[in-house]
Amino acid sequence: MMMTLITLVLCIGILISALLATYVKRRVAAVVSAGLTGLFASVTYVILSAPDVAMTEAAIGSGITTVIFLFALSKTKGEADE
Amino acid sequence: MAEIILNLAIFIIMIAIALGVYRLVKGPTVVDRIIGLDLLTLVSIALIALIAHISSRFIYIDVALVYGLLSFLSVLAVARYLERGL
Repeated sequence: MMMTLITLVLCIGILISALLATYVKRRVAAVVSAGLTGLFASVTYVILSAPDVAMTEAAIGSGITTVIFLFALSKTKGEADE
Repeated sequence: MAEIILNLAIFIIMIAIALGVYRLVKGPTVVDRIIGLDLLTLVSIALIALIAHISSRFIYIDVALVYGLLSFLSVLAVARYLERGL
């Protein structure tokens, strides 16, 4: 019962953050929302009893990917981000 | 008694996740969204520890440990990017 509630809330969170990463205007906010998708997916992997996958997702999907995206954004000379 | 406390903790964590997602969706500026992401990271660490206690598999604590060690990195990167560009 409790695990069902946790899984339901986490999946709704994944859906909301993925839609937000698609529709938000500013690019930094989209990167933050993509990191949030990885965070919720990591907790869902723990619930599905795969702690090694969750550890990799936490390290790469939510930590390193955000830094690499921001590094690429600072290197590109796009439109003004303000 | 312990089960009541665990259920109450799960409900409180669910409310915290809902409030954090609300701030992340609603937040007018990027700084609000970063604060929401940091809040959700802390709440997720608490949730992983709670799941490890409920399912009695204490290998899950390692996931919370790795997450706590690496979670500050993304917030730090976004803050530095907003300040002067990584």
